[in-house]
Amino acid sequence: MEIRKVGIVGAGTMGCGIAESVAEKGYDVILVDRTEELIEEARSRIEMSLNKKLEKWAITEAEKKVTLSRIRPTSQLINITPADLVIEAVIEDPDVKKEIFRTLDNLCADDVVFATNTSTLSITELAAATGRPDKVIGLHFLNPVTRIKLVEIVRGLKTSDETFATASKFVASLDKTGVEVYESPGFVTTRVIVPLLNEAMYALMEGVASAKGIDTAMKLGFDLGKGPLELADRMGLDTVLAFMDRLFRDLGDLKFRPCPLLRKLVRAGHLGVKTGQGFFKYDEEGNLIE
Amino acid sequence: MKVFVLNCGSSSVKYQLFNMDNESVMAKGLVERIGSDDAVLTHRPEGRQPVKQIGPILDHTTAISKVLAVLTHQEHGVICDVSEIGAVGHRVVHGGEAFTGSVLITDEVKKALRDCIDLAPLHNPPNLTGIAAAEALMPGVPQVAVFDTAFHSTMPRHAFLYPVPYVLYQRHKVRRYGFHGTSHRYVAWRASEILGRPLEDLKIISCHLGNGASIAAIKGGKSIDTSMGFTPLEGLMMGTRSGDVDPGVILFVMDREQLTLVEANAMLNKHSGLIGLSGLSSDMREIEAGMAQGNPRAKDAFDVYEYRIRKYIGAYAAAMDGVDVIIFTAGVGENSPLLRRRVCEGLTFLGVRIDTAKNEVRGKEADISAEGSTVRVLVVPTNEELVIARDTMEIVSSLGAREHVAAEGRV
Repeated sequence: MEIRKVGIVGAGTMGCGIAESVAEKGYDVILVDRTEELIEEARSRIEMSLNKKLEKWAITEAEKKVTLSRIRPTSQLINITPADLVIEAVIEDPDVKKEIFRTLDNLCADDVVFATNTSTLSITELAAATGRPDKVIGLHFLNPVTRIKLVEIVRGLKTSDETFATASKFVASLDKTGVEVYESPGFVTTRVIVPLLNEAMYALMEGVASAKGIDTAMKLGFDLGKGPLELADRMGLDTVLAFMDRLFRDLGDLKFRPCPLLRKLVRAGHLGVKTGQGFFKYDEEGNLIE
Repeated sequence: MKVFVLNCGSSSVKYQLFNMDNESVMAKGLVERIGSDDAVLTHRPEGRQPVKQIGPILDHTTAISKVLAVLTHQEHGVICDVSEIGAVGHRVVHGGEAFTGSVLITDEVKKALRDCIDLAPLHNPPNLTGIAAAEALMPGVPQVAVFDTAFHSTMPRHAFLYPVPYVLYQRHKVRRYGFHGTSHRYVAWRASEILGRPLEDLKIISCHLGNGASIAAIKGGKSIDTSMGFTPLEGLMMGTRSGDVDPGVILFVMDREQLTLVEANAMLNKHSGLIGLSGLSSDMREIEAGMAQGNPRAKDAFDVYEYRIRKYIGAYAAAMDGVDVIIFTAGVGENSPLLRRRVCEGLTFLGVRIDTAKNEVRGKEADISAEGSTVRVLVVPTNEELVIARDTMEIVSSLGAREHVAAEGRV
């Protein structure tokens, strides 16, 4: 089916990033969240992101206007019915997500594909809440959506080849690269990166090197854009901890045991960039303070 | 024969229908915002009121079918049936090294065009889409591709090679191609008609100054150099494009401002040129107005724009060891007496003298040289569509003749 209108449920960081990336490629976007306030916040968040691009000469004033005009924010889920594809990006709570999928299942035409942006939950389990498990798929966009070229396209147990093909084509049309992933805790990205971050924290805790030393060694040694501790700060230490806990629980392997230092920082409220302090200190715009 | 000329952009289609018996335009028009629910079709039948239609047009095939419908419409139409169209001519931006002239579109040609997509990622795909759409809607009607690059295929190696590692030419076809070829070719031909002198005897410098701007050195009717290069970003300063800059500047700015490739590309293509320097507008009319009001950055923008044209004219006079004719064409070239005057005032060493009264012309063919000027200075409105129609007509007629000969041969 030809996708022209994309519905996005959840207008937080991820929902807004997805909305912006999708609208920029010429799709009409219906962006839904629960209240008028949240919707208003989303609108200004997207505008700020576009302003940043404008400052960096990436887009023109006219292109900014066109992109904004393609996004229709609304607080009524019923307005999503014209969408040809729905992407769910609400909080990582299986009950909340299932409830939304149940509602969407009643609202949307039978051939509409449902995608979830979950990074940890089971697609198969969410799909079971609908009467169309073959049309449910994972589209795992990474933060910041507008800059990261990758989307993990996650197949649940019942996801059909046709649904996968539709999703792949859609991802390619966003100028992003899709990687086919079979459902498993943490998919590829989270599963592989989080233990690396965790190991860097162990190295710090054991006094192998300073935080700056660890990041510099990894950055220069392996040609990484950012060191593991800064990356953890940017992801949010509470998020990293939640990932570790979940992987540990789901897979039961000791290699996923969260580093005690990580837990300690989270308890202290040092969550990384969003609180201004994690392993490093950050200013209000999220720039590292040397 | 009636020839349908198409220029397909990513979200637009421009068209003209020619009656080639007398080279008259029967209708022209434009479809904008293709891919949206409120696409706009503006149709201008010759000698009648224009018609505007707004509605959903999701792809180029639908756009062209709507155009064909309006062309055959009882009230607004200019032909009774689509079958009256004898051939379709397509403007194609990039022909790479494969095409040195216009060609009949065959499967091989389409394959070669797809191979050129890397060279013109923004322009060639919609051109190909337009070809596919026209083929689907007018099966059996011959289609011809006319390339923006083809006219410059006569450039010698010393003009098209860049002084970078040769392997880049071998591996990625990095070289000067040049654009606006159809326009430069048309105005050069018009100049020889106006002056009544054969093209073979003339050294022409033609300045195509529109939204995009390029300048060509045309010796004996052949392009021997042009200011646009591998992409349409090189050369003259334009409305939103920088034209020539030190490549070191780009590397420096990318590093200092932490720009990605996409951002640097957009900065040079969309935020530079007149708009970038003036901060006012990409439109020369507004720059001139700003300058008249004493806006210093509008003056900067105008001065740099003008100076760079003059430098290129000097360079191309050297490239040809002389110049007989300077032509101004396209939006700014046809409509800015001030710019033409300022450019020519600095070219007296070449023997250029313009008549300030004649120079006041806008949008019309004129010889604006003063008495005694050894270089003739002309204003020639460009007409790329006519060239496309003529090439199409010529290729399709020779095709018919060949088939005719072949048929007789069998008897």
